[in-house]
Amino acid sequence: MKKTRLFYRVSGILALLTCILAFAGTDTPVKFNAPRGWPKPRYDFSNNPLTLHGFELGRELFYDPFLSSDSSTSCSSCHLSFTAFTHADHKLSHGIQGLVGTRNSPVLINLAWNTSFMWDGGVNNLEVQAINPLTNPVEMNSKLEDVINKLQRTAKYRKLFYRAFNDSIITSKRLLKALAQFTGNLVSCNSKYDSVMRHERDVHFTAREENGYELFKKNCATCHREPLFTNNKFENIGLPLDSVLRDVGRMKVTNDPADSLTFKVPTLRNVEYSAPYFHDGRVNKLKDVIDHYTTGIVESRTLSKELRRKIILSHDEQKDLLVFLKTLTDKSFLYNVQFRQNRVPD
Amino acid sequence: MKRLILICVFLFLLFTGFIDAPVQSLKPGSLSLRLRLVFDGKPLNLNNALYTDEHGDTLSIDACRFYLSNIVLTNQTQLIYREPYSYHLVDAEDSVSQVIQLDRVPGGSFSELRFLIGVDSLANVSGAMDGALDPIKGMYWAWNTGYINAKLTGRSPSCNTLHHAFEFHIGGYLPPCQTLRTVVLKIPVIKPNQEQIVSLNVDVGTWFTQVDLHKTNSVLLPCTEAMRLADNYQRMFSVITE
Repeated sequence: MKKTRLFYRVSGILALLTCILAFAGTDTPVKFNAPRGWPKPRYDFSNNPLTLHGFELGRELFYDPFLSSDSSTSCSSCHLSFTAFTHADHKLSHGIQGLVGTRNSPVLINLAWNTSFMWDGGVNNLEVQAINPLTNPVEMNSKLEDVINKLQRTAKYRKLFYRAFNDSIITSKRLLKALAQFTGNLVSCNSKYDSVMRHERDVHFTAREENGYELFKKNCATCHREPLFTNNKFENIGLPLDSVLRDVGRMKVTNDPADSLTFKVPTLRNVEYSAPYFHDGRVNKLKDVIDHYTTGIVESRTLSKELRRKIILSHDEQKDLLVFLKTLTDKSFLYNVQFRQNRVPD
Repeated sequence: MKRLILICVFLFLLFTGFIDAPVQSLKPGSLSLRLRLVFDGKPLNLNNALYTDEHGDTLSIDACRFYLSNIVLTNQTQLIYREPYSYHLVDAEDSVSQVIQLDRVPGGSFSELRFLIGVDSLANVSGAMDGALDPIKGMYWAWNTGYINAKLTGRSPSCNTLHHAFEFHIGGYLPPCQTLRTVVLKIPVIKPNQEQIVSLNVDVGTWFTQVDLHKTNSVLLPCTEAMRLADNYQRMFSVITE
């Protein structure tokens, strides 16, 4: 017990030190470091030079309900850091006045590698993603123009924008770029899985984790491709069409019947903490997700070709797979103090 | 060897238009494009003025806004001038937006004006933009990312809709639903070293070519109908020769 506590204390201090070192004294540019061996990030920080103050401004905006029409709802209302930036216990999320949306709020992990955003991929760039929750009538219900004007009237934000952009004039471009500095830096790359892959000393998969990893590679990894655990594509995973929302997914964006019922392949990093699952949060337990893939697939014209071959897993194998998925949990991400609200005084 | 490289670099720059052709050695000047918004030849007045379209529908226009971008002047064989960061939002409600001033246009003759109606695909995927492309201008789709290239809204008794309104928001930058359109206009040869004005008629009536407002009155998504309307308004421009 003591040992565990010591471990957490030491790793906590180490994580803190890393962050302090990474951001130390940096008025000046901060480098976005892609983990070694990962693909090149899709988001190009050279068009949005990363600075400590830019990141801090983005974080302040992310946590500020002032951005919503009635000052009730912030980005973080539906994206909580402790649950990998998804909305724990909410199948669908609610915005202002408790109005309910139509999809499960996605995790915000490694967004700099995303090729598109939203469950249907309708958004093509991290920077413009934020316009959606800001302006959606059931989320934050603001007008971009009103947000800018509201922020411009506060001394706090004039100061924060000045620190970040050397100019206290607030524009939508600066607002969106600052938010992208924060969200683009939500990088999770320190799970047990990562330590094992990096051959770190004394970190090994258990026999069950190892077996789970083999099963994962055989059955899941085509779509949930390592190291990001998504291939950024859209697939129909054989969920029956819900009778209320009748959400056809990507077809709404492309109008292409071949995209009917397809949704973005989500990353599996921190999946242990990002329940509920699937685009409408219809399943609460990871075990039920595996059940779906083994026994629940509904055949249809657009069913993913990867799922046309039945996935057969014994009871023990399912358990091993589950154990492996938990090695994708990254506590240094979930408990990163830099990602939490660090209130700047008004 | 060095000389060869230099020649290659020079040719490359010449080819890509970084260096203007040697004949263009005259002093740069300015050129204003003045847009006159009309409906079937009559001046365009918003809200109350009534017009009749080709199909015979009576209508009024509430709003007309479109992007005019990537302005280029050529002498038909050679690029003479390319406006840097060339994005303009023309708005029937805002007379200032109807004059586009091109500065530092090289002296010398050119006879062709080219531009795009709408926003090119590069700008559509480049994230947060400012100026004419600022999403607060209301010409931006956030959910299915993309600029609205042109907007025309109004009313007609032929529309079986709430308040008899028709709404055309034309956008789409991805194939097969691209609504970006190129306009090429012959302009009178411009003499060097002068402040020049080119006046263009912008006939909003062209939007309604073969459009039955009873059937087509709400086009708010990219694709078939949007493409047809884009083909229509591609013919909106003509040069006014005094």
